[in-house]
Amino acid sequence: MSRIKLLRYGLLVAIGIIAVRLFVIQIFQHDEWTERANAEHISQNTIIAKRGEIYMMENDQPVEVVLNKAAWTVVVDPQVTNREEVEKAFSEIAPDKVVAKWDDVFKDKTRRYYVVARGVEREQVKKLKEKKLAGVWYQEGNERVYPEGDMASALLGFVNAEGKGQYGVEGSLNDTLGGTNGLLKTITDVNNVALSIGDDNVRIPAKDGKNVVLTIDRVLQKKIEKKLAEYLSTSKANHASALVMDPRNGKILTMATIPNYDPANYAKVEDGNLFLNQASDVAYEPASICKTFTFAAAIEEGAMTPETTYNNTGEITVDGWPIKNAHSGELGVISMQTALNYSLNTGSMTALMLLGGSDSEITKTGREKLFDYYYNHFGLGQATGYELNESTGLIQEPNKGYGLNSRYANMTFGQNISLTPLQVAAAFSSLINGGEYYAPTIVAGEITKEGKFVKADEKKAVRRTVTEKTSDTMRAMIWGTRGLQRLYGIDKPGYYIGGKTGTAQGIKDGAYTFDETTGSYIGFGGREGELPEYVIMVKIWEGGQTLEGTADALPLFNLLSDVAIDHFKIKPKG
Amino acid sequence: MRKHRSNPIIAILTFLLLGIGLIVIYTIGAQRANFMNSAYGTDYDQNFFFIHQLISVGLAVFAFIFAFKFPYAKLRALSKILMILAFAACGILALLALAGSSLASCQLGACRWISLGSFSIQPAEFLKLALILYLAGLVSQHKEAGTFETKDFWVPFGVASAVSLFFVVFLQKDLGTGVCLIAIILAMLVVSGAKLRNLVAVFVIILAGGVMSILVSPHRLERLMTFSGEGDASSSYHIDNAMMAIGTGGLFGVGVGNSVQATGYLPESINDSVFAVMGETFGFVGLMAILAAFTVLLLQILKVAGGLPLEESLVVAGVFAWVAAHVVVNIAAMTGLIPLTGITLPLLSFGGTSMIFISYGLGLVSQLSCYTGRRKEKDEGISSRRGVGRTHYASRRRSA
Repeated sequence: MSRIKLLRYGLLVAIGIIAVRLFVIQIFQHDEWTERANAEHISQNTIIAKRGEIYMMENDQPVEVVLNKAAWTVVVDPQVTNREEVEKAFSEIAPDKVVAKWDDVFKDKTRRYYVVARGVEREQVKKLKEKKLAGVWYQEGNERVYPEGDMASALLGFVNAEGKGQYGVEGSLNDTLGGTNGLLKTITDVNNVALSIGDDNVRIPAKDGKNVVLTIDRVLQKKIEKKLAEYLSTSKANHASALVMDPRNGKILTMATIPNYDPANYAKVEDGNLFLNQASDVAYEPASICKTFTFAAAIEEGAMTPETTYNNTGEITVDGWPIKNAHSGELGVISMQTALNYSLNTGSMTALMLLGGSDSEITKTGREKLFDYYYNHFGLGQATGYELNESTGLIQEPNKGYGLNSRYANMTFGQNISLTPLQVAAAFSSLINGGEYYAPTIVAGEITKEGKFVKADEKKAVRRTVTEKTSDTMRAMIWGTRGLQRLYGIDKPGYYIGGKTGTAQGIKDGAYTFDETTGSYIGFGGREGELPEYVIMVKIWEGGQTLEGTADALPLFNLLSDVAIDHFKIKPKG
Repeated sequence: MRKHRSNPIIAILTFLLLGIGLIVIYTIGAQRANFMNSAYGTDYDQNFFFIHQLISVGLAVFAFIFAFKFPYAKLRALSKILMILAFAACGILALLALAGSSLASCQLGACRWISLGSFSIQPAEFLKLALILYLAGLVSQHKEAGTFETKDFWVPFGVASAVSLFFVVFLQKDLGTGVCLIAIILAMLVVSGAKLRNLVAVFVIILAGGVMSILVSPHRLERLMTFSGEGDASSSYHIDNAMMAIGTGGLFGVGVGNSVQATGYLPESINDSVFAVMGETFGFVGLMAILAAFTVLLLQILKVAGGLPLEESLVVAGVFAWVAAHVVVNIAAMTGLIPLTGITLPLLSFGGTSMIFISYGLGLVSQLSCYTGRRKEKDEGISSRRGVGRTHYASRRRSA
């Protein structure tokens, strides 16, 4: 039976070769294969932290204005997926969520991964899953939801596709809201699903973001935005912003930038400027509003009173350049109150001269004193320190550079200086609240995981800008500018309302121009005989239009002031 | 021919291997179900694969016992009918595939299964058994008539072999089963005592046919190219991941239920690639044990063949070649020694048809191991006298 032996030897040789081969693969090359396998099997997954939600205040209670909702990202494996089935299913169930072009998805035959839809809702996923589509995966994630629609969009900002906050509260407080992502290092199956195999798995839990409560009064914000939009519809301007602060504590109650954009569809916004919160992100020249600061400095230093007189010739020559008034009347000897009422540049320049101990020229001492007040007392040209990102603006130092007298002459009426409405409103508040500067604040506290509202510490005044006496004087002086409003019954008896206009020239081809201007107005209001309860700063602009403080911004302030009185239920005196 | 107790090792190893296969499918079946469900949108239950394997093992045990009990004398009378039935089954599959019927289950242009609802059968497995029985009868008949290795023998031998290979290699595009059939044909011819000259001639004819088949079928060429390092991605991915599974197993393996490669990285992890998953799970030690089990089983089969009259000896040699070809071709492919072919690891791979028919073949060998006989064509000599005189006690001593 040698023939059967032949089969036996044949078998033993084959088995022998296989045994040697196995020895080589499993013993000699073991480390090499293990390394390759680990490279293929182990995946590091980020555990996405839950993003904190954003609240505003309403009747002293926090209300949600930005919240999360589970949303799914859908990924297909183009090699496995049946194109017709998938395309049909999505066009039936979630056509609005498809982010890819189907031709692109199936163009590259080697791809195994293509994101075809984002933000797919729970119900849609359920229906899609029922179709049992081959090679389709659903990844759960979070999506922002905006129950108030586009309200306060420039203030709130948005969250981009990568889950990162952009602009506004979302961008500024991204670290607070975003929390810290965790890490999951794990052996996964071929679909990247974690397996409970092996002991090398690492798990660092995610730290969820905090829920932030803003000081913003939701109802007031809504009312103000509505008024701004209405006003714009009847005006030649098409941009407006309003900032409402409580001058007694620096709390920001409204930050409106109109027009709003839809934060859920931020990618469709064409004009990137709409993302900017005009109250804090954009520094500009607030113009004649700054006269209040110049006068306050001069009064505080004892260099003048509202009754101090000077001879208004319509212009003052500084460094060889005549600087004129915008208003051509009121020539002759007039009081500083009159100068403020008619917003005369000669008045504020005279105040600067007086501040420097002279009645005919701007001096070094005058410049230094004005800078000290503007920068150190009023905090102009520097960050206010509020919780969100802000522009610092720019202020010229008193002894650096050239043409300083001319620059400082301009600074007295708010040109050659770049400030945010937030800086101006905070400084203005200190002028009329008794002289205390409160850093503006917008975070009222947080909502804990258990749903408890933990209030932020009450902010104390940071410093004194002027004495209480100067503040009283300034409040009266600013009230004094609204004689016409009281005469025509716009300011109702029993209320105490004051304010100041500003018309900033645009800059065109490197030079000031009156073809493009931004109208501003800042004012306060409250019950007569008591400290003001609100400060409102409005700004209205549009490239190519001349918009004035008096003609355009002042009527807007009047409307908003009425809204505030109504909203805060301020009763008139008497 | 004397009757004595059967060789117990064949039955023991058969059931042992079936049991190991069941354990492996139990540990990776759930992962397989999850992967299929998520990747292909199927709706397999967690226990689907295990339950299917359990049913298959049950049927395989039944097939083994039936083959053990059903007398070979009755079976050999049916050999021609079985051969015709096997050809008919292959023919029906070919026609179904041609008609595009859903009853023919095709993968990548290879139609190998007749699908009947929840289970499918592979006619090629039946064909192997039928061919073994038919060729054994044919050789025996011509030996008795003195017409062995004449034209009267070669014509039916050639036709049966060629038609079988035509169905399997050309219509079902199953080179793995083709190799197995060739192994069966050659092994039986070797044992039949055919002249070396004729053996070489048959071998050359088959080789020429093999070269032709590769030139005709592009996917076969691709697999060869893969093997030489320049083929398509999916075949090299398959071999690479099989070797990765085996390699990560190391000396003792990662342990039952800890195979990562089975979670979707390794294609066909429960069918043709189950050896690789076992390598990852049980390591070098485990694979050596499994390899040893197969080797002992196959050597025992050869031992049985050695003690039987020619016809029975041919049947047993055919079964030997069948099982040996599956084991060697499957493992050699998984370890990158030869190109990838779709062929199961006997008794261990998921998939009922192969398991049931191989169990039948092993049951038949077990039945024949109860007999010891002398070669009819040989005059009594010292060697055959020893065979006649062997008692079952002696047999037990020798196999111990």
